Amino acid sequence: MILIQRLLTCCFFAALALPVHAVPFQDEGGDAKKDEKQDDKKDDKKDDDKKPEDRWFAVVGGDVYTGTGAVLRGATVLSKNGKIEKIDFDVYMPPETKTLDATGYRVYPGLVAISSQGLLGNSGGDFEDTIDPFNSRMILGLATGITTTGSGSSAVKLKRFSVDDMVINDKIFSIFSWSNRSPRGKYDLREKFKNTSEYLRQYREWEKKVKDQKDLAEPSKKNVDGSCLSVLKGETTAKFVNNDADELLGIARLAQEFGFRPVIEGAQEAWTVADELGRAGARVILTPRDRRPKSELQAREGGTSIENAAILHRAGIPIAIVPSTEGVDLGGIAGRDIIHLPIEVGFAVRGGLPEQAALESITITPARIMGVSHRVGTLEVGKDCDLIVTDGDVLHYKSFVQYAVVDGKQVYDKERELFYAQIRPRPVAAEAKKVDKGETAPVKVDPAADAEKKDGEKKDDEGKDEEKKDDEKKDG
Amino acid sequence: MVRALDERRGARPRPALARVAALALVALASCASSANKPDLSPLGPGEEGWALRCDKILTADADDNVYSSGLILVRGSKIAYVGPNRAIPAGYKTLEGTAGVAAPGMVDLHSHIHSGGFGDVNDMVLPVNPELRAASALRPSNSAVKIACAGGVTTLYGIPGSGTSLSGFGLIYKTKTNATYDETVVQTVGGMKIAQSYNPERGAGDLGQTRAGLSWILEDVNEKAIGATRQGRKDRALENLQKIHSKELPVLIHCAGSDGFTAASRMWKEKYDTRCVLSHGCFDAHKTAQYIVAAGAPINAGPRMIDFFSTRDGAITGVTGVYERAGAKDLSVCTDSPVMPQEELFLQGAMSARYGAEGYNMLRATTINPARAFGIDARVGSLEVGKDADIVIRSGDPLDPRSRVELVLIDGRVQYDRRRDGQWF
Amino acid sequence: MKHILLLALVSTFAASTAQADLLAIRVGRAETVAKGVIEHAVILVENGKIVTIGEDLPIERGIPILDRPEWIVVPGFVNCYSRLGCDSDGGDDMSPDVKASDELWPQAEEYAEIIKYGVTTLGLYPAGNGIPGQAVAVRTKAATKAEMILQDSVYLKVIMRADASAKKRVSDGFKKADEHAEKVKKAREKFDKDKEKKGAKKEEPKKEEKTDEKKSLQEPAVEDPKPDEKKDDKKDGFVPPAPDSKAKAFVDLREKSLSALVSINSAAEYLHWLDVLGKEDIKWDLRCVMSLDSDLFYVANKKEWDLDQDGIGDKKVHVVMEPRLTLTPGTMRSRNLAAEFSASGAKIVFIPRNDSVNDHKNWLANVGEIVGAGFKPESALHAMTLGGAEVMGVEARVGSLEKGKDANMVFLDGAPFEATTRIQAVMLDGKFVFGDVNQ
Repeated sequence: MILIQRLLTCCFFAALALPVHAVPFQDEGGDAKKDEKQDDKKDDKKDDDKKPEDRWFAVVGGDVYTGTGAVLRGATVLSKNGKIEKIDFDVYMPPETKTLDATGYRVYPGLVAISSQGLLGNSGGDFEDTIDPFNSRMILGLATGITTTGSGSSAVKLKRFSVDDMVINDKIFSIFSWSNRSPRGKYDLREKFKNTSEYLRQYREWEKKVKDQKDLAEPSKKNVDGSCLSVLKGETTAKFVNNDADELLGIARLAQEFGFRPVIEGAQEAWTVADELGRAGARVILTPRDRRPKSELQAREGGTSIENAAILHRAGIPIAIVPSTEGVDLGGIAGRDIIHLPIEVGFAVRGGLPEQAALESITITPARIMGVSHRVGTLEVGKDCDLIVTDGDVLHYKSFVQYAVVDGKQVYDKERELFYAQIRPRPVAAEAKKVDKGETAPVKVDPAADAEKKDGEKKDDEGKDEEKKDDEKKDG
Repeated sequence: MVRALDERRGARPRPALARVAALALVALASCASSANKPDLSPLGPGEEGWALRCDKILTADADDNVYSSGLILVRGSKIAYVGPNRAIPAGYKTLEGTAGVAAPGMVDLHSHIHSGGFGDVNDMVLPVNPELRAASALRPSNSAVKIACAGGVTTLYGIPGSGTSLSGFGLIYKTKTNATYDETVVQTVGGMKIAQSYNPERGAGDLGQTRAGLSWILEDVNEKAIGATRQGRKDRALENLQKIHSKELPVLIHCAGSDGFTAASRMWKEKYDTRCVLSHGCFDAHKTAQYIVAAGAPINAGPRMIDFFSTRDGAITGVTGVYERAGAKDLSVCTDSPVMPQEELFLQGAMSARYGAEGYNMLRATTINPARAFGIDARVGSLEVGKDADIVIRSGDPLDPRSRVELVLIDGRVQYDRRRDGQWF
Repeated sequence: MKHILLLALVSTFAASTAQADLLAIRVGRAETVAKGVIEHAVILVENGKIVTIGEDLPIERGIPILDRPEWIVVPGFVNCYSRLGCDSDGGDDMSPDVKASDELWPQAEEYAEIIKYGVTTLGLYPAGNGIPGQAVAVRTKAATKAEMILQDSVYLKVIMRADASAKKRVSDGFKKADEHAEKVKKAREKFDKDKEKKGAKKEEPKKEEKTDEKKSLQEPAVEDPKPDEKKDDKKDGFVPPAPDSKAKAFVDLREKSLSALVSINSAAEYLHWLDVLGKEDIKWDLRCVMSLDSDLFYVANKKEWDLDQDGIGDKKVHVVMEPRLTLTPGTMRSRNLAAEFSASGAKIVFIPRNDSVNDHKNWLANVGEIVGAGFKPESALHAMTLGGAEVMGVEARVGSLEKGKDANMVFLDGAPFEATTRIQAVMLDGKFVFGDVNQ
């Protein structure tokens, strides 16, 4: 079984890797290098300042789900000055280390919402100057497990009580429009990319030649589009908001022709053109519960599908998930807004997305799309110590975030904030872990682990269930 | 029955009496269903029967029986056996794809998708419309109904909207995916729909602009119906309303907040002692939980499952949990579809559980409880011998969004098979 | 011993200025604010100043006495944050040079009203948004503008918001001060070169240059030689250029000859203020607006919520605020932010709930509500008197009952924050301005 799984993961990575090699101008490796460089610079700056005492923080005793697929039961996550120093068992901790006991709980990387509304206060852009790190929506964001969110073209950390260094990337996207309603617009955009790409080719030639011929004129920037240029240079990511299959195909062709990896938001009919999008190296932001019936006049497949995420995943397309309501909705309808982000992800699992990919869709994948995966998205040594401690599977509908930690500092405690404190308070929650009649552990719906696996595993489950049932009867 | 009603009208019935009556009714119903003995005889010639072997069966019966690795026998349209695995009697065919968790088809008492969407649900001319019937607007197996089926919802009480105080009579139907009117409808007149407050206010011109006016409008039409019964007078417009007062039919009441909740309980439970179900109970209504529960009318909570603004104590309160802790009998949840998508009825249960209600009880709140509240539990709401074979097989916990619906049987026939039909939801 | 000394003092005064405005006041109790409570207090007032104050002092014959053993005297109230009687519109969002003293109108009816409620000192700030300008401390009764002014330029009002432009205004201000410092430095260099050319000995200017360099190395940030302070400059006749009008206020802030009163609504704005302030070393206090669901409790101190920055209390600044209970956001749980700030180390300064005559009337009662909710009465009285004076830097003149201070007093018929207490009389600069006082 394990072998099969490994094989599958290999295939998956291979599928991921392919488009990268096919793209000449931009690849994520390049991105990461760039980011690292920036980071080094920042670190240098910090060194210039007075060195404050090191700040040590550790989460101990929890089952650590690193987000990379590994689970370390009862391990310690140690951080120094906000960065993860060590994830291991029996870790030496300096005596001044602040610790958070997560025994009996799970530890996950902080969730990354690729977009949200209101979690940063009423600020728009200029986050360093406008963020409200005390607003109640930020508490609710952290209570959901979100520690980083995209907003506009920025990736911002939910750094509560602080107005410093919360923006980790402020130049993510160049947004383009590609609509069947405007053939002219499509033509123009293609021309822009064509001219810009031509300019870039000339420029690179010029760069080579100018070393010998010093008086050679620089190629003209006439007809060069700034947004296209930054996309082709790999400085920003091209983003489209499209749902129709033929538009998605158009974007895929455009991206392949000019060699960039588009991000497509919406992507309702993407499941019908998954292979084409996969070949174009597209990344997709979607809402599994989107509902749009197929047009009755349409002969081919179309409309929304609950399987959208799963199908795209199988085609090697990285997926980030957003809920249908990007803001916080406390009006009473539960389960559709940003504070129920993991619930929305549950619907992708329903459609067949493997649980690991589902977790990644709100952690490392959005982090990669936003070019901040070197900082957030998984628990790895050297990354930011942004994590959450939950009382169960983060994707389970009854799980609550007990603690949230950002930059190695505890910024949320369920018992301390008023929102959820009264729901299953901690000591009881820890005790009552075993009993809940209606809720069986979800049967794995990973297509890789199909038929044969079920037989073996379920017999074990049966035994447990019966024991449980007996217990319950005794209680009754 | 009529005579008894007349006597009761003279003296105002005490809530305690009403409760006893309700309890008796409930006891009767549950006795009737659990008394059925399994039928393990072989199928006769021409008879059709299916055997379902499941990893787990959540019956939602009176004893909350849960079978790990069990068997369900479906004989014709009814359940012939539910229980531990055993030999399958002769004649039964084994149904494929039934591994997973079997649970009763879900029941929603507050649904507006019978006409296929938002439209065709409200006649907004007169404030009371006791002569209207939602059944006239039914589009069997419309696309919303089909997806509801794929979401594990099998029985719906399709009702007119809440634009007028008495908007008419709803129908009880099943979510069969390819059926005629007769095949899909359980009861053409299944109950009445009342809007106690809020929504009708907006549409009202003169009388009925306030709660006082709305109450009078409803009282007036009720007294007319009671008068017609007493005089033995035939009035076509009132004949169904008369059945409400003779307890032949239940009534679902839209009452959003605490005021509507209280007004509805006072009018329909305490004053007229009808078989009323109080729907919504959102916003601040949970503050009246103790009173409503004591008065005895079953609560049908939703579509808003949480309240934040009315308590002003900074807490997000799960309303279902409040009713549950107050001891509400036959507590159910609703989607008010299409306010919430019909197929997400389970999510209403899940959200109730998330915000403080007990998990298994929320499975009941989407299956047997609404059936009991509406008196249709002899046919639907649980997996018990003799009941309609409305069975949903899922890959896991019925309340978990991650659990896929694999197979849906209604009246013993496969309506949705994920592997055959593709995944609709 | 003490008594004898005081007697002697009094007699000399009595002898030397027979015609002087002299009055002895004997009351049941004096709450001096600065020096505690004096039972059976005697206060001698001369020429508008408190000459002496003490317990049961003997009074020389011939000095008129006001004997009110049933009264309690407290210092005249100081409202350091008002626009009563001012009616100009705000100017530019960046007008640190504007002064409220330019729009004074001593005859405004409001002053005659509020003086009845014990308010003897007002801090008037200029209208407008952003950085609207500098406030002035005034008496609430005077015939002319000049008489009215107690002290000008008492603080620079800065409105801080969580937006880029508000932060930019502050940083631009300090940039202007930087530019000015640069200008002064260049002028100095030029001056020295000129001197060299004129034929002065070679060694001297060189030495001077060296010392200058050293200084600039030691104090890179603050580099604004003021003529009075830097004697060297004066000696060799160097007159530094005057800062332009916009830069002046910020130059003054750095020299601490002017303080800033920073108006904030929320905890976020506090952090944004600290952020933009950076390493600037200036004197500043806070004006915290008490909205009903204020979240300022988050920044009362560093410890409670484990902040990265110092909280308001840790900074030990004055907090100018309305006497108003707030609610924990989203709830009906009441909070006493004055008590929270005070417990964290901040100095509370109360102002009336709104800037209207009627709110001045209710001021004492409103502060009483905060006291009733757990705020210490002595801190409350400080917050209505000396606290405001400290914010405006006029604490040497007003705000407490001490020897040498202006004789501004409020006479009450009971403890200050009892609901039944009424104001019986008010004295400003030694003269009764309210109350029926027949000695």
